[in-house]
Amino acid sequence: MFRSKIFISTIIFLIFLITTSLIKNQTRILEKKLYKLNEKITLKEKDINESQLDFYFLTSPAEIDKKVKTLDRNYLPIKNSKIFLSLSNYRSLQERISVINNKDEKKTKEN
Amino acid sequence: MKKKQKKIKNINQKSFYFEEYLKTNKKSKFSKKDDNLQDRIYLLFFFFLSLVLVFSIKITHLSLSKTPSFNQEIRSSNFTLIRRDITDRNGILISRNINSSHAAVVPKLVKNKKNFIIKLRLNFPELPINKIEEKLNVGKYFYLKKRIDQFERKKFRALGEKSIKFESFQARMYTHGNLFNHDVVGQVDYDNYGISGVEKYFDRELKDKKLLKTPLRLTLDTNIQYIVSKELNKAITTFKATGGGALLMDVHSGDILSLVSLPNFNINKRLTIKDKKYTNKITKGVYELGSIFKTFTIALALENKLVTSKTIIEDIPRSLKCSIHKISDMKDHPKNLSVEEILIRSSNVGSVILARKIGELKFKEFIKNTKLLKSPELEIEEVGVPHKIKWNKCKLETIAFGHGITTTPLQAASIYSAITNGGKLIRPSLIKDRKREEFKNLISVETSKTINDILRKVVSSKNGTAYFADKNGYYVGGKTGTAEGYGSSKDRVNTFISVFPTNKPKYTLLVMLENPQINKELIYDYRGVKTKAPYNTSGWNSVYAAGKIIEKIGPILAINSDEFTNQYVVEKFN
Repeated sequence: MFRSKIFISTIIFLIFLITTSLIKNQTRILEKKLYKLNEKITLKEKDINESQLDFYFLTSPAEIDKKVKTLDRNYLPIKNSKIFLSLSNYRSLQERISVINNKDEKKTKEN
Repeated sequence: MKKKQKKIKNINQKSFYFEEYLKTNKKSKFSKKDDNLQDRIYLLFFFFLSLVLVFSIKITHLSLSKTPSFNQEIRSSNFTLIRRDITDRNGILISRNINSSHAAVVPKLVKNKKNFIIKLRLNFPELPINKIEEKLNVGKYFYLKKRIDQFERKKFRALGEKSIKFESFQARMYTHGNLFNHDVVGQVDYDNYGISGVEKYFDRELKDKKLLKTPLRLTLDTNIQYIVSKELNKAITTFKATGGGALLMDVHSGDILSLVSLPNFNINKRLTIKDKKYTNKITKGVYELGSIFKTFTIALALENKLVTSKTIIEDIPRSLKCSIHKISDMKDHPKNLSVEEILIRSSNVGSVILARKIGELKFKEFIKNTKLLKSPELEIEEVGVPHKIKWNKCKLETIAFGHGITTTPLQAASIYSAITNGGKLIRPSLIKDRKREEFKNLISVETSKTINDILRKVVSSKNGTAYFADKNGYYVGGKTGTAEGYGSSKDRVNTFISVFPTNKPKYTLLVMLENPQINKELIYDYRGVKTKAPYNTSGWNSVYAAGKIIEKIGPILAINSDEFTNQYVVEKFN
């Protein structure tokens, strides 16, 4: 009876000991992974930060203006008339043009 | 005998048994003690064995697992921002912190000072070698060069000197160089403390750890800023001006979309500047802005219902005397002028007559309400202080046409915004996400509409002074101002404040040129006639520059223009 108690308690103790060590080991591994992932994230963030910085520098109006000058093509500013604030804006304009066109066609037919 | 012996035997046996019993009883007690001891030993043995087992399992597990050791590069890359980004209103990056380093020297580690100096002289001729030599002799740790880039770092490393150390720090990088002024966006020192502009004003907020990932959004627009800056630079070159400034503001919200002051410098470089020409002309510069004030006079006269825009002021003299001062007009105007014509033709005498009708009290109240003589309220510390005025004999008369009173261009543009937006006072701002305040009315909506119509006529009518700003489709209205420098007759400030589109005002644009000159080679297309500039007035330089700016920023600001659309339909149809 006494031996069995000792045996059981020893086994329980051992199980806990082993599981504790295993859990601790796993936690440490997870912590390491987390640390490494965090490091990777910060590294990636740093890369993004720097590439964004490059992007904003290279796409700044002054840089684009410089590049346009080096190209052979002649870029012209877009006329106000070709800028539409919305699709409805564009459609209303087109409708007005078509109304004028229709009227003109009628006139030419009558003549 | 045998029986006896047997008996004895039996007796003995009994006793033996007894003895045996006794012995075994004692033995069992002993054996129990032995067993307990043995068990304990076993337990201890088992315990140690299990420990050995656990450790051996762990060792084998570790030896079998393929987790790589920490990379040195990863460890060294610990990068966390200590200052928030600053972006423009569209989210375009203006400033951000990056990892950088200073190159320093530990003199004790320098083996051969002569060689060291020679190497530096050959590779870095821009460094102050004499000073470095002195510092080397002192023997204290010192910086060779602060804020070095990657190439310089490589170059320093290539020297092969152990004594050169790289001290890492976070540098502030401004992606657009000199596009934004040093006293608008601002600068930071090497310890990341804001030293000017928004960087200084919002130093705490920019360092707030909770907000590190949310950028501080400004009202400035990078693309518009570039166009305004480019056109202003062109104007300064064309008219050989010593400097200039421009401001684009939303008339309703007070959002500043563009603030340019020229000359300026690349804010990525730390420079000690003592030259006054680098002062922010828009916020810190204090000027006598001239005829621009006539709009205020007319607005006050209309608001107090002393006149209407069509009221004819008869018999306007060529000149007026006020104490010892003689007030006259630059050009000869008709004797009878309507109130709107006084502004269109920019008549000094006409303005003085109206101001006398308004009276000093009303003018004082207007100045008090608009805070014209106080420092402008803006989210930067670099703001000017207008000169105090004494209401002596001719003050009212001179103020009527913008003389004897100074203010910053920012304040003048703010009042123009208030007068044209329906009469509501506004507070100019550089911060997009801010609490919006409601301000009281300066003038009525009716007066505001009338003023807008008159300002439009200043640009569109034949007698107007701002023809070159009349860009088709944008209904530009505005007022020119040509004035001498305050307290210096040699200096000249030509200003034009425009509002567009005047049928539904959205933006105020101020263009100012300091000491412009007539460009004799420039041929203007003035109402279909090719001509050279007859006068050195703002109508021939500042207005010209403003027109160029409006022409280019108009499509970006997407001003919906019916006038233009109608014309386009006709053009397309034909």
